[in-house]
Amino acid sequence: MNDTNEINSALSPGSYFFTGNEAAAEGAIAAGCRYYAGYPITPSSEIMERMSQRLRDVSGVFMQMEDEIASICSVVGASWSGAKSMTATSGPGFSLMQEAIGYGVFTETPLVIVDIQRAGPCTGQATKVGSGDLMQAKWGSHGDYQIIALSPWSVQEMYDQTIDAFNLSEQYRVPVFVMSDEAVGHLRERMDISPTLRVTNRYKKSGAAPFGTEEKDGVPPMPSFGEGENITVTGSTHNEFGVRKTDDPNVQEKLVGRLNHKILNNREEIVQSESYYMDDADVIVIAYGFTARSAFFAVDQLRKTGKKAGLLRLKTIWPFADKLITEIGRKGKKLFVPEMNSGQVYGEIRKYADCEVIPYHQTNGRIIHPKDIMQHIERIL
Amino acid sequence: MSNVKQVRLIGFGGQGVVLAGTILAHSAIKDGRWVAGSSAYGAQARGGTARYDVIVAEDQIKFPHMISTDILIAFSQKAYDESLGQLSQENALVIYDDLLVKPITLDKADQIGVPATDRAIKDLGNKQAANMVMLAAAAVLTGLTSQTSLVKALEENSAARFLEINRKALALGQEIGLNIKKNINRKE
Repeated sequence: MNDTNEINSALSPGSYFFTGNEAAAEGAIAAGCRYYAGYPITPSSEIMERMSQRLRDVSGVFMQMEDEIASICSVVGASWSGAKSMTATSGPGFSLMQEAIGYGVFTETPLVIVDIQRAGPCTGQATKVGSGDLMQAKWGSHGDYQIIALSPWSVQEMYDQTIDAFNLSEQYRVPVFVMSDEAVGHLRERMDISPTLRVTNRYKKSGAAPFGTEEKDGVPPMPSFGEGENITVTGSTHNEFGVRKTDDPNVQEKLVGRLNHKILNNREEIVQSESYYMDDADVIVIAYGFTARSAFFAVDQLRKTGKKAGLLRLKTIWPFADKLITEIGRKGKKLFVPEMNSGQVYGEIRKYADCEVIPYHQTNGRIIHPKDIMQHIERIL
Repeated sequence: MSNVKQVRLIGFGGQGVVLAGTILAHSAIKDGRWVAGSSAYGAQARGGTARYDVIVAEDQIKFPHMISTDILIAFSQKAYDESLGQLSQENALVIYDDLLVKPITLDKADQIGVPATDRAIKDLGNKQAANMVMLAAAAVLTGLTSQTSLVKALEENSAARFLEINRKALALGQEIGLNIKKNINRKE
């Protein structure tokens, strides 16, 4: 099992006025990130800029790579060298990273990717907001696998969830995505830093098989290069010692099964959400990221006029909150799902909720305004 | 101060509007308040207008963008003209630079002219300091933040070579704000 320590915050405790992007960089430094590789791209570049300054303060390593493919590959390598590692990107950069993300998944490499989603596809509207990368985060690489993806709604959460992302990536040996968006990345808000934070460290066990375990959580210990262990890291199918087994159906099935199960079997531990005014709500808005801020305001305003609206905010997108959505669906309420895409989470909710689910899609590169959410809820009520 | 105030600082590029907004935000945080700020980004930031929106609240802010303007701080005629349409329906306040803005009559908002540019030139010999004069006067007139916090926020956010002139500008703005307030109280 991993050990978790309480450590002092990297910044002095107090209130700060950061952008979401700056807060993500500070969260990374606080969580112990000591390697960043990236290629700048709007609207994520401020993360890279701040990491270039802050890693120097903590004797970390910062690399501007030639592109996003090299960035993610070097992050995988740095993680195997023992450094907590991350990259941040957006839009086309995220697409370029997909193959090596699969390598990270298959080699069970802890790493963090912050995606500041912008309006796509392709170059799209580089400075505008969107939430179109959620399915890409889930299955953008080929094969069959599971990852963890978080969705921050505030500057505070850009800090907190980046820390969570590092902890989860170490605990489950998996790439973890902070699926933010332009509106949160460029939002400037007060955020508070507490004196201490909890940090999960890599689980090591000398001589143990690095790619297989009989332990219940399905996560093997992970050695680093230079510690005297014999390590083979390969993107081909491998047995528990990393030896290539490209013709053995049992090894393939066992490995892919474990990679999926180590996330899905632990999803009750991983999935987080928040709810507001849910108990007596006639309509429940299900939202995430910046859209949840609009929804929060809308629901609060409607409550002031006696209209029974509630909000379920998904803090984790993947693994999906299937059990929670099933439970809510059983109560027979109407669900309203506003998204800055054509219904990527709406489709998931439909899978699990046995009640009326009403989508609202906006893909014009603009945030969904609280007024729009209010109007739709009033129509539904 | 009521629970949430949506403040828009707006003028033309080069007047220090974004710096004024940033210092207001930092200052309100020092007072223990919750703050969200946003400026124009991307192509919209390339025009002549400079804008900074600050939301100041006693509690955590639900929606961090401006829905309507409770307090408009206008540094130019164009900015003033463009921004009136977004004023809140109730209790809106417009504070304008009285050398650069000729106000029109408004039914639903109070308006206060502040001689920020005029006094920055006459008292400080530096019209660039008008942003800090305006900020400190607006702070007195609205209760958005304290003078002590403003000075601290300035010290953390101003370039060293402008610190002294900006300190003087804040003091001047405070004096102007207090005088205006005294006159308003007398009239009432």
